[in-house]
This record gives sequence, C-alpha cells and structure tokens, in this order.
Amino acid sequence: MRSTDAILYRFVEVAVLLLGVLPIGASGDDSSSKISYAKDVRPILSKNCFQCHGPDEHARQGNLKLDDRTSALSELPTGTRAIIPGNPEQSELIARITSADPAVAMPPRETGKRLTAAETEILRKWITQNADYSKHWAYLKPNRPILPVMSDLTWPNGEVDQFIFARLNQEKLCPTRAAERGSLVRRVSLDLTGLPPSIEETDRFLEDARPDAYERLVDRLLASPNFGERWASVWLDLARYGDSQGYIHDPPRTIWRWRDWLIEALNSNLSYDQFTIEMLAGDLLPDATDSQRIASGFHRNTTNNTEGGSNAEEYRHASVVDRVNTTMQVWMGTTYGCAQCHSHKYDPFSQKEYYQVFAIFNSTEDNNSEPPVLETAWVGRDADRAICVSRLSDTRSRLADETQRVDSLRGEWEKGVDRAGLPKEIAEIITLATDQRSKDQQDKIVAHHRKTSVEWTARQADVNAAQAELDKVATTTLVMKEGPARPTHVAIRGEFQNKGEVVEPGVPIALHPVPAGTKLDRLGFARWIVDSENPLTSRVAVNRFWQELFGIGLVESSEEFGNQGEPPSHHELLDWLATEFIRTGWDSKQLLKKLVTSAAYRQSSEVTEELSARDPLNRLIARGPRVRLPAETVRDQALFVSGLFSPKMYGPPVHPLQPVNGLAAAFGASTDWETSRGEDRYRRALYTKWRRNLPYPSMITFDAPERSVCSLRRIRTNTPLQALVTLNDQVYVEAAQAMGRRILQEGGDTIASRVSYGLRLALTRKPTEEESQRLVSLFDTVRASLSADPSKATSLATKPIGPLPEGTNSLDAAAWTVVGNVLLNLDEFLAKP
Amino acid sequence: MTINQLFSFDDLSRATRRHFLGSGSLGLGGLALGSLLNESLKAAPSADEPFAPSPAQFPAKVKNVIFLSMSGGPSHLDLFDYKPELVQRDGQDCPASLTDGKPFAFTSGTPKLLGTPQKFQQYGQSGAWVSAALPKIAEIADDLTFIKSLHTEQFNHGPAELLMLTGIPRTAGRPSIGSWVTYGLGSQSRDLPGFIVFTSGGSLPSSGKAGWGSGFLPSVYQGVQCRTGGDPVLYLSDPEGMDRAVRRQSLDALNDLNRLQASKLKNAETATRIAQYEMAFRMQVVVPELMDISKEPAHLLEDYGAQPGAASFANNCVLARRLIEKGVRFVQLSDWGWDFHGTNPGEDLRDNLVKRCTLMDRPVAALIRDLKARGLLEETLVVWMGEFGRTPFREGRTAAGPNIGRDHHPFSNTMFMAGGGLRPGITHGVTDELGFNVVENPVHIHDVQATILHLLGLDHTRLTYRFQGRDYRLTDVSGKVVKEILA
Repeated sequence: MRSTDAILYRFVEVAVLLLGVLPIGASGDDSSSKISYAKDVRPILSKNCFQCHGPDEHARQGNLKLDDRTSALSELPTGTRAIIPGNPEQSELIARITSADPAVAMPPRETGKRLTAAETEILRKWITQNADYSKHWAYLKPNRPILPVMSDLTWPNGEVDQFIFARLNQEKLCPTRAAERGSLVRRVSLDLTGLPPSIEETDRFLEDARPDAYERLVDRLLASPNFGERWASVWLDLARYGDSQGYIHDPPRTIWRWRDWLIEALNSNLSYDQFTIEMLAGDLLPDATDSQRIASGFHRNTTNNTEGGSNAEEYRHASVVDRVNTTMQVWMGTTYGCAQCHSHKYDPFSQKEYYQVFAIFNSTEDNNSEPPVLETAWVGRDADRAICVSRLSDTRSRLADETQRVDSLRGEWEKGVDRAGLPKEIAEIITLATDQRSKDQQDKIVAHHRKTSVEWTARQADVNAAQAELDKVATTTLVMKEGPARPTHVAIRGEFQNKGEVVEPGVPIALHPVPAGTKLDRLGFARWIVDSENPLTSRVAVNRFWQELFGIGLVESSEEFGNQGEPPSHHELLDWLATEFIRTGWDSKQLLKKLVTSAAYRQSSEVTEELSARDPLNRLIARGPRVRLPAETVRDQALFVSGLFSPKMYGPPVHPLQPVNGLAAAFGASTDWETSRGEDRYRRALYTKWRRNLPYPSMITFDAPERSVCSLRRIRTNTPLQALVTLNDQVYVEAAQAMGRRILQEGGDTIASRVSYGLRLALTRKPTEEESQRLVSLFDTVRASLSADPSKATSLATKPIGPLPEGTNSLDAAAWTVVGNVLLNLDEFLAKP
Repeated sequence: MTINQLFSFDDLSRATRRHFLGSGSLGLGGLALGSLLNESLKAAPSADEPFAPSPAQFPAKVKNVIFLSMSGGPSHLDLFDYKPELVQRDGQDCPASLTDGKPFAFTSGTPKLLGTPQKFQQYGQSGAWVSAALPKIAEIADDLTFIKSLHTEQFNHGPAELLMLTGIPRTAGRPSIGSWVTYGLGSQSRDLPGFIVFTSGGSLPSSGKAGWGSGFLPSVYQGVQCRTGGDPVLYLSDPEGMDRAVRRQSLDALNDLNRLQASKLKNAETATRIAQYEMAFRMQVVVPELMDISKEPAHLLEDYGAQPGAASFANNCVLARRLIEKGVRFVQLSDWGWDFHGTNPGEDLRDNLVKRCTLMDRPVAALIRDLKARGLLEETLVVWMGEFGRTPFREGRTAAGPNIGRDHHPFSNTMFMAGGGLRPGITHGVTDELGFNVVENPVHIHDVQATILHLLGLDHTRLTYRFQGRDYRLTDVSGKVVKEILA
C-alpha cells in the first residue's frame, strides 16, 4: 500500500462506498414529538443491552430484563429500578449508561459498546414520556397505508411512485428524467427474463407508438418462458440447490427435476401462497400430484455426508436444523437459527420454541440419505414416459420368456459344446459338475450360454434400447416423505446428543397463532406461513422482488426483518406492497408488473455528483437502478448477443467449457468434466452442473454463493478476477469469436456499419459518433497488428470456436473477435442500464 | 477524489464496514479497508459499530501467514508426540476407560495399542522430540513452537478440516480463516490477490474449496487457487493468438469507451471498472513471473527439493515465500495424503510414512530457514497442522492386516508454528502416557485460530461480520488466545 497508485486505485473504488451513509430509516419527521419505542428506542437497547438483558434467560445478568416493560420497571436485586416512567434521573438505566465509573458503567467497557450522546438523549426522553413499549414493527401485521397526496401530478405513475415521490419531496430531491426507450427495453428484459432483447424485439418496442407500448412489452416479457428461468436462479440460491450431495465426497445428486418444477411454477405464475405450500409440504397435500411431490424437494436440497464412519443421526439433525432455519429465513426474514443453541438474544423466540418448529420437520423419512426419491418424467414428457415404461415392460417380459427357453436348453448345450471353442475361463468351469461350481461360476456359465443365442441377444438388445429410450424422458428426484414420528427434544447448546425436555410441534407465541383445529404438521405450518395474519411473509416476499429490481431491498437486510435488521427505507411503501400482494391473491407477475411499470423504475440511471454523494446506494430511488449484472446474466447475455445461445429448456445439468483442473476430489474421482456436445455447451447458466465442493468457477467469481446453505442476497463485488473471466475464459473468447463472425455476416459492408451493428447487438442502442470512431480505430489498429503474424490471427479467430466459414478472411475475423471481446467487456454491457 | 476530500465527510465516522460491503463495489486490491479506515479513525472508534474490525487494538506481531494444511491428519504419535510407554505396551488392549463411549470412524470393540515404529530423538537446545521421519524439521526444532495438546471434536475429515479452516464443522459455506484475515487486514500487494492457495498431493483437500471460500463474506476475500498446470490463476492467459500489444490496444479502447460512458451517466462504478481491468492487465504479467521459480538460485531450489515446472509441495513452498515477499497476506498450502489407516501399503506407518514425509519435511524446513535468512520470519507466521491426530491404537478394519495404520483421533494432536511473536523452541501442552488424551494445557482448534488472529493484531471476538442478522466470527462462540506460547 505504499504506492500512491494503489492508494488512488483503492479510493476510486471505495469512494463510491464512503460518500454518503444516509440515515435511511429516518423518514424526515424529526419534529421531536413522541419517541417511538419500536423505531427509536428498541434498536438502541437491542444493540447495546439485550445481549445480557434481553430475551435469553441464560445470558441474563443482574436479573434485569429490558425487552419487556413489566420486567424493566420492576425492582432489581440492588433495590433500584432500571426504568421509572417519567423520571429519567431516578432511573438506574440512565445512571449506568452515563456513568464515568468503569465499575458500574454500562454497557461494560470491555464489550467496546458505548451509547452516543444522541442515543442517551433518546432514552432519556422516552423515559420522560412514560417509557411506553410496543412490539417491533415487523412482528405487527402491516396496515394498508393511505396513499400520499401528490403535489406534482406530472410525475407519478401509480401507487409505488406516490410513496417514492413523497419521500423525495421530503428530502427536497427530484426524480431523474425517464430512461431512453432503448435503455429501458434492455433494463426490463434483463430484469424479467435475464436476457437482453434481440434487435428485432427492441425495434418492435421502439416502433410501437401506442401509449401502452411499454405495458405491452412488459406483458410479453412476463409471458416469456425465459421469465421462469431468470427468477428460478433467485430460488436456487434460496433453496441451496446443488447437483451434488456436499461434504467431502460430494457425490452427484439427481434433483434437477425440482429445478424444472421451479421454472414451470414461476412461468405459470403459481400464486405465492400455493407455491410456498407445495415447496414446504406438497407431499402432504390431499391426493398430492407428482408435481406437488416434486415441489417438496425444496427441502431435500440439504447436504448429506457420505464419509465413512459418519454418524447419520448427526447429519440428519443438521438437515432438520437447516430446514427450520431456511424456512424462517426465506419466508419470514427471521434469523430463527439463533435460538438453536440458546433463546434468541434480540427477538422474542425461545430455544424451546425453536425445537417446537424443529419438531414439525423432524419426522421425515430421509436420514442423511438420498432416498426417498420419486420416479417421474421430464417436463412435458409424462405421456412419452408412460409409453416407454410400457414398452420396457413388454420387452422385459419377452426377454424373460426367451431366457426361460434358452436356459432350458443349457444342459444339452453343456454336453454337446465344443469346449475348445470356449473362452478359457468358461472351458474350465464347464469341466466341473454343476454342484461343484460356485454361484459366481454358475452365473458365468449361464450368462455365457445365453449370449450364444441370437434370439436371446436380440431380446436383451430390445430391453437395453427401451431402457435408453425411457432414460431420455424419465428421471428420479428427491422428495419429502413423512416417516415414523420421532420425539423431539430441546438440544441443549444445540448439540444433537445433548437431549433436554421433550417438545411438541408449535409456533412462536410472539407471532400469530395457528388457527384452532389445525394439525400442526408441515402442511399446517406451511399454511400458517402464508396465513394473511402473518406479519412477515408478504413483506419479505415483496422486499425480495424489490431487491432484485432495484439492487437493494426496501429492507436492506433482506435476511433479517427482526430487531437486528435494518429499518426499511420506505416503510409505508413496503407495507402497501405487502398488503397489495395479499389482496391480489399473491400474484407475483402482477406485482412485478406494478414495480417495473412505475416511473421510479423507469428513471434514467444518470446521476449527478451531488446525488451520488448524498445517496450513493440509491436508497431513495431518485434515479434508475444501475448495478452490475448477476453471474448468470453475465454468461447468458454474452451467449445471447453473440448468437451462440441455446434456448433449450429443462433437463439434466450440462457441462459447458471450463478450465481443466487436473485434480481429484478428496477420496474421489476427477474434478474435470467432458464438455457437453452440441447446444448443451451453450445453455443458460442455471443448467450448468452445480457441484458444491467445486462450483463452476466463473459463477463464483461473479459472486454466486456456493449453495451449501441458503443465501438471501449476493454481495456484489468488482474484482480483477472478473475482468479475467470475461476477457479470457474460453466461454467468452468463443462468444467474442461468434460475435465477430455475426458482425461480419450481418453488419453490412463497411467497417462503420459493422461497428454500429456490433454495438447495437451488445447494448440495444446506436453508438454515438465518438464511440463509433473509437471502435473503428480499434479495428484498424488491431488488424494492422495482427497482419504481422497470420497464424496468430487464425488462432485468435478460430480457437475454440472452430474453422471459419468458407470465404472469410481470418485477419478480419480475428480483428472482429477483438472488437467483440471489447464489446462484451464494456461497463455498460456488464451493468443493468 | 483525494484522501482528504474523502475523509472530510462527517458521515464517515458513522460508516461501518457493513455499509461498505453492502454497497456493491469492492476491488481485489481494495481490501485494505480495515487498515485504511483504522489509521484514519483511530481517534474516533465508531460507536455505531463496536464490532467493526479494528486491527490496531494491539500491535500486530506478524503481517503475513503461511498456513501449511496437512490434509488427512498426520500422526502426531509417529512424528512428534513420543510415547515410550505406548511402545512398551504395543499390542496390548487399549484400556476400555479410554475408549468407552467414544466414537471412532473405523474402529469398535477393544483395539490394540500401537507403539510407534519410528525412532525418536531429542534435538537442539530445546530438546524437542522429533521422529526420524522428519530429519530436516528436526534440525530447526529450536525455531519451532510446538503445541502437543491440540484437540477437536470432529473425527471425520470433512467436518474436522472445515472446523480447522472455517471455525464451523458442519456447514460448508462459512468464511475460511484466510478470508477472515484478508477481510480484517486487507493485503499489501497491489497486483495480487490477498489470499492465495496451492494444493499438492494430487487431490483436493477434504473440505474442498470451502477451505478457502469466503462464505458469506464478499467474494473478494476468497482464496484464489493458483494452479500448477495451465494458467497459474484461472483465465490469466490472453486468448490464443492475442499478444500483449493487441491486449493493450483492446484495453485502451475499452477504457476510452468506458470513460465516454462515465461522462454520460457519471456513475462511479464505471471508474471502478476501469481500475479493475488495469489491475487484471498487471496481474497477467506479475503472476506468471512470480510463479516462475527457475530464476531462484540452484542451491536454494535444492534445499527445498523444488524443480522448476514440477507440481509439488516443495515448489509450493518456494512460491509461498515469493508471494509473502510481494506482500500477499495469507498463503495456504493444502497438502493431501496424510490419512494413514493402513488399508494399503502406501498407508503404512513404517517405511511409507518416511517416504511420504520426505516430500514435506525438506521443503518445510527449507521454507522456515529461507524466511529466517531473509528476515521475513519475524513478520510471518508459519502454521503447520492437520485436522486431527491419530489413535494410539491400530485402526479396527486393518488391525489384522499387513499394513500398520491408525484411526482418526480428535482427542489429541500436535502442531507447530514458527514466526514473529512466538516463543521459539518451546512445547506447550502434554498428553497422557499413551498419547490418548490431553492432560495439560488443552488447546482447541478455536484457540489456535484466536492465537493466529491475535498475532496479526486482530481480536477474534471483534473480527465479526453481520450475516443473517447475527455477528459471525471465525471462532464461533469460543476460542481463547494461547498466551503461554507468545513472546
């Protein structure tokens, strides 16, 4: 770090981050009226005090419990009271937090925690105002807020905008003008389908002069089958999906049919409540269909440890823990896992309550094992599978008949066969009397004899062929299945062998109750999750949609809505969206349409320095959302614009090009794979085989999680390793070559027209004059450099994509490959416009 | 943007690491956030985020770490922890009082005690016991700090190694120790990642890539695995047929076009993008130069037992020193092949252990001597350890077989460290006369992790990261610094 250059470099990067740390939660009205426990006080207590004076009874110090009013007001063993309403000066709480004496000062000095003067003042004022308590906002059912009245009717477009605009008004900020239509079509296509628009689609939109052209575009995108693929990638992170079992051996797992179910469910816009119920408990629905049972595979994505000598119960227990934690995270934004070892330190969940939910998940049949599995058809191939199954059964029965016939001839054959013509081993066995042969030897004779029959061999070939046909339409997939009930104990300190009291299924008392008469199994629990009384589920869901579109959630900590979470940037908007989502029948596509047709979403992403300094993360939405594209989109987009892209949907995972590793897994097979042939080499990223121990390297480089555990948001980074991927990875080199060829073939006859075409392919807009000139000069310079060594030019134009089409000049193709490589690395290309 | 401007913002004092990380723009080199902020904010520690990494809570003793991970669990009883009593009782039943109620991976019933077939001797001023299988390490025994009371609760490779490298046994997907360190301290190298990993032994370690993953930390902190075949860093080579001049021409155009974009949208991330590509361009030159050990003096290569172009632990040791010299913060060498069960002749604790050791003994000793000669050992911490020890008895499955092996043993193990801030030439902790249990000064894996962080000037209880609403740390909820081994 001594180099100035390096320091500057870092600053270039961190500048973005450092500039403004806007107090997002505070929404302006600081006119000092009433202090709110939920908004103002609780966060301070939670951060500084609850660790020792909160809900966790085991960690409690000095018999003081500050998270509940009755306790906080009662007399302490020392004879003092922490809080005396109306009298901050007599309240021990204030005395302690303001004390200069390290022996009594709170929080204890060694914790490193200290209240600021402002925080102390808030507590003082709150006590003066009677120290009223209220529940944390996220545990109260959202009320549908009244829409803010608009002062400027020219801008807002709908309810979302009314909230956004009202807040901007408060902050004395103006929204940014609408994005150009060329940028907008690219933005919304990338967001809804994970793919850029083709030039034709772009033109169709640009030429559509109807007032609702944009709504029509959005409808087309929502109806595209690519929609389900794009949003499935979000759920693969949530579900910790992988095509391997995890841990040391990380053997393969076949559960891709669940991934295909996900795509179908999203495309068919299965309502979010039903979607939830099927994933958590599809197997328990009355007369569950295969589809619903496949859906229940959501929680079969937990890892198994197949290492010799491992204790199955230990890993089964770990899977149940994972299911509880993942469910509460994904649907309720709650870090319930904290209560696994002790009562939650910040939120009102006891350890006993943790194991009550655990009990709900504790009776499934799987036991650190792949089974139970369901045999089923590939998407849309049920009828074919039925035919293949019956054909296989026919061929098997014909084979059985033939086997019987042939076997009945074996005795004669053994007597008469010319032993000299037999393989050595068979010739040796045949000299033994039947009762002197081992089973293995006898089997060998039988097998050999059958193969001597032309008819039998033909029948066997029929079976093999029928099986091969079936394998093209049938698969297995891991599903949930109830087994015998297991008693559930509180696991003391979270240790599975350390059994405490026995508990029955239940839900936390701090949340809404289970309706009377409900059987609290997984199905009852899933229904409880999507009950309209649930204060969290719809908020968490709409926040996730928001996060995907705007780059950051209304609640930034999308995994945590509880006391330790971040306050929402637009609380009323969050609650409005949450209630609207339920009101419209949990209709995800309708919600997405509402969001992407808002004027807020449609703003240009240009930014002034002032705004960038004031709101670097765009929490206030005073401009369009511009963030680097997710890992999957980085790949899919490059394939798409270069023309290599395969639109093939569904099916077993594929093996695109990846660098050779040359290593074995521990105790295992090679970590390399044979590249898929044909279009499978160019499939969307979500079809790439996901091995948890060795995930596809370029995906990880672009911040995809390893998927051993549920992940609710990806932290976006920008690193040189990413630059190396899109510059040099064979996948991207091949895409640049294809792009170069495409430009040559389709881009007209002049260098200028080709440059313009290439940029349009990449960015769905025309280049400016300056851009065009710079690309032309790049082409000329590179072509001149390459002309020195034609063999290098040929390599550059053909490896790995293959020979040039007839009549193509390799020097041109190589130079256009370089141009393609640049286009595929433009900042604008890698970012949402 | 200058430093002064940057730090003139009032909000900065409220800024937390979480805000930086959440904002979506971090570079590989930009890892010095911790130290950068810390230097500037020393006077005013953030009250908002007391758990924010604060590297200067106490002065660091070392700047860098070379972590030698002996994957598979080398036998402490045949390398360092000499037990004459065990030799004497070789072949006798292992006392039931020791094994009762304890799980072993491949052994049940009453196993037979196994005295070491290796010869032991005391070395140096310190009189450290070292097996004849490690003649070179024996020579530098006075530079080493041994812990003979290491223990864990994991007896399977995967979980045990995960615990050792990530602090958590069962959940892959937690940040590895190297990620935590680079997250806390950044890196001093401007052209290289801060955390670099090499593997040897022909296999990935038991914990797979999770052993150097960044878990929930931003991916900039993940270990970059350098490879011995192909590109040393993935995707480092330009496409075939593209020379450096053409790469430069294309990057110049890319930068110009990105600048045009930046002037239009004024988006700060575009500037980051330009810097990101320039660093990639420099890495393309620097990394291959670094990986080329052919210019090291012949006698030095001879010391290490390294050969230019080979794929070996010895070569990796030479590279580790070269990277440390360049300011790389954390270098991890995973050496596979220490799982001596006795299931085949290769896993026999007699001659084949000696054979296996020659691939490790010489390079490790050479590395420590080399670092010392260059004055680098004072600012570097070398850690040598495996995920667990081995049982004092013969492994159950192979007990009647021709090859002598031991089972996984979580209850005792030996490790050593060398480098700044340590008391060299001492041994900490004692096991019982059979080497089964720790009887004095037990040191848990979390304690080792706490100690490593401590030597780097990091408090393991305060190096935290908020994930899923909770502050996580490497040592989970335990760990204490082993003060007795500190200078």
